Amino acid sequence: MSYYADIAISILILMTLGVSLNLLLGYAGRVSMAHAIFFGIGGFTAARLTLPTVEELGGVATAGLQTGFSWHWVPALLVAVVVAAVAALVISIPAVRLVRGEYLILLTLAFQLVANQLMGVLDKVTGGPYGLSGIPPIQLGSTPLILPEQFIWVMLAAAVVAIVICWGLGESPFGRLLKGIREHESAVASVGKNPVVPELLAFSISAAIAGGVGALAAFYYGSVVPSNYSLTYSIFIVSVVVLGGIGNLSGTVVGAIALGLLEPFLREYVGDEAIPWQTVIYGAALVVMMRLRPEGLLPEGFGPGRLLNWRGRKAPKVVPTEEEALARLSQDAPEVVTEGEAEPIVQVLDLKKSFGGLKAVAGATFELERGKVTALIGPNGAGKTTIFNMICGTLRADEGRVFLRGEDVTGKPAYQLVRKGLARSFQDVRVCQRLTALNNVALGVQNQPGERVSRLVLRPFATRTAEKRVRQKALDCLALLGIADRAHLRVSELSYGDQKLVAIARLLATDCDVLLLDEPTSGVDPASVEKVIDGIARLRTLGHTVCLVEHSVHFVQRLADRAVFLDQGAVIAQGTVDELMNRRELAELYFGT
Amino acid sequence: MDLELLAQLTVSGLVVGSTYALLGVSFGVIYATTRIFHLAHAVAYAGAAYAAVWSADTLGLPFWPALVVGLVAAAVLGVAIEVLFYRPMRRRNATLLTIFLVSLGISVAFPNLLQLAFGPENQSLPRPDNPTYGLGSVTISRHDVATLLICWVLIAAVATYIARTRFGRSVTAMRTNPAMAEAVGIDGKKVYLFVFLIGSLLAGVAGLLFTAKGVATPTMGLQPTLTGFIAAFLGGIGSQWGAALGGLALGLISSWSALYLQVDYGPVVVFGAMFLVLLIRPQGLLGKAAA
Repeated sequence: MSYYADIAISILILMTLGVSLNLLLGYAGRVSMAHAIFFGIGGFTAARLTLPTVEELGGVATAGLQTGFSWHWVPALLVAVVVAAVAALVISIPAVRLVRGEYLILLTLAFQLVANQLMGVLDKVTGGPYGLSGIPPIQLGSTPLILPEQFIWVMLAAAVVAIVICWGLGESPFGRLLKGIREHESAVASVGKNPVVPELLAFSISAAIAGGVGALAAFYYGSVVPSNYSLTYSIFIVSVVVLGGIGNLSGTVVGAIALGLLEPFLREYVGDEAIPWQTVIYGAALVVMMRLRPEGLLPEGFGPGRLLNWRGRKAPKVVPTEEEALARLSQDAPEVVTEGEAEPIVQVLDLKKSFGGLKAVAGATFELERGKVTALIGPNGAGKTTIFNMICGTLRADEGRVFLRGEDVTGKPAYQLVRKGLARSFQDVRVCQRLTALNNVALGVQNQPGERVSRLVLRPFATRTAEKRVRQKALDCLALLGIADRAHLRVSELSYGDQKLVAIARLLATDCDVLLLDEPTSGVDPASVEKVIDGIARLRTLGHTVCLVEHSVHFVQRLADRAVFLDQGAVIAQGTVDELMNRRELAELYFGT
Repeated sequence: MDLELLAQLTVSGLVVGSTYALLGVSFGVIYATTRIFHLAHAVAYAGAAYAAVWSADTLGLPFWPALVVGLVAAAVLGVAIEVLFYRPMRRRNATLLTIFLVSLGISVAFPNLLQLAFGPENQSLPRPDNPTYGLGSVTISRHDVATLLICWVLIAAVATYIARTRFGRSVTAMRTNPAMAEAVGIDGKKVYLFVFLIGSLLAGVAGLLFTAKGVATPTMGLQPTLTGFIAAFLGGIGSQWGAALGGLALGLISSWSALYLQVDYGPVVVFGAMFLVLLIRPQGLLGKAAA
């Protein structure tokens, strides 16, 4: 009995570690190669804190220095969690500037090897290569939990807690933000969200859970040994997550059971060679799985809930009509401008940009009038998109200034501009393919308490209410563009035209007064072009100021109040579209003769 | 400060740093072009060592022919990983993360296969004499001199080949803009094959240099490969001389650190150096800032 309970405990430990790593790997799309180290950091911290003091051992400092501070196990567990979380934050500092996956791989891989070596060297802290032993077991009341069949309940509870935390976070607005960053960091930044902090938090939380498991494992086994926290174990945990299914916690549970049973099973058959065989088998399994079924045993989004179809993917029960949506959205919308009034909201002053010897933009000056649709037109290479990128802060201007409501916003990063009321879309849409249309739009909604971990923990019910409002708003934005009936579909299942509409809906959800659209109809079929035109017309009805870069004259004529004609990086004419198109020299420039 | 000790540490740092430089270039050549975090690079390192030991032990080959067998093994293993695993995955538009996970699987399975086949114990080559020479108070062995020469001749050859020849420039083209490079008629597959071949050969040389003086163990590839990764990132991805400089710097730093710290702390110093450089100059020492 004890034998099986002991195996079950080791599987539960593996499962909890896997679940916590999946928060990082699945939702944030980042790999940590040092999960075993955070597990170990928790173990050593808890061990040192709970070991008896020198006085308790009779005042003799023993050779192995197996002494500590005689803490109760509960505070020791908490400190272990905190220490692991802080260690993760420190390690990821360089990753703040280099938010590219491979740098986190490099950093954590190096950290894994160095920290593991240090565990063997820093004998005053870790007891050297043989580690620490004699760690007191957990006491519940006056009963020490020593036997496996007693301790298994503690570990089971821990696994459940970890699953609840990771699942709760992953499926919350915070998890949605993580997935958004995973797929299109620049798009998330373009709707006003800081793309770095959530990832670091996910890394730190993931490490914190590993630290907690490490403490529990130390209490159970009574010893902590550096060789248990090796790179091989880190890779083993990664394998559990990957084989089970990245981004699917039920998959991790299955993966942990399958891989955790491997070792006891192999011990029966190959005896001493069980460990190398185990490693060869899961290494090979990793290779085969990634070649044949990269989504893992249970793909993301597949689980008991999905089988019953009760969460998220259901078509919305009530699809709001366009009028209802318009009525609700107009409460948050900017004031509608009365007819005849013309006031500039964005002023672009003498912007210049050269790429090497090429003058892409040579002193462009124009204004966007509040509540109007302004089109930037001109032949290819006129510098339209370059100007756009300079207004949005994605490209640094050589000279010139951009003012938003009279405030100088030149070179401000995208996410700050959104807070001031200016947002952009991308020519290549940058919608998150694996999220539903609704969740894509929800990413655009500002000031969501549910995107902050502290609020999720401290005020779970308030965040839930807020999330309802967010979803309603996202649905309204989709309704206004006529695609609310597809809100529950993954964006990858939508036509390209609908994807462009989703991107516009996401922009609308930001509540910014000024919306910049980069070629909203490029690559879109004619039927969808009509829908895009209708959609943008509704943005104007709501009082938004729209600026678009567009090639199609038909489109511009139907929609734009004003046009700014650019050629060779300079504004050569401004006026209504008809005025400009009636001027023969401009038409020739535009269409070529 | 003890000047004699400093001189001796500098010499040994230069020798160790040269192998790190070689490893940095070997990983850098692969990574810069393919963007694959090729953890299975360790396979070429350890594979070369084991092939050489095996051909000396079982086939009874003398020292030099055994080294040739080792080199061939490194090249075959590296190219096989590209052709059998990475290439088919790229063709199916696998993400870099998925390809990395395959690399991870290979890198964890291979040393254990070695252990199952050859046992966990140390293996060594029948090695030629290794006399030492004195230069004042500093001593240097013949193996050290050979290491210095071999590493830097190979690094210079690879860097020159990539910078000066037509095919070498197509490697740079594939690195900077693969779609454009293929549009103007560069065979991407061939370039990938080339970087894996060259990278694995260099890793094999490093593995053999190590085994010619020390011993082969199943997990021998991991630590040096990681040092190579660090060297390449430290120096700046895409620059051969950068990676070489990064490796040399790592060797010197970890050797000099022995003045103040126990030898066991060497890797910690290396990690610290990487941490600082990534913090202050993320694009690496000789790297160009990302656009």
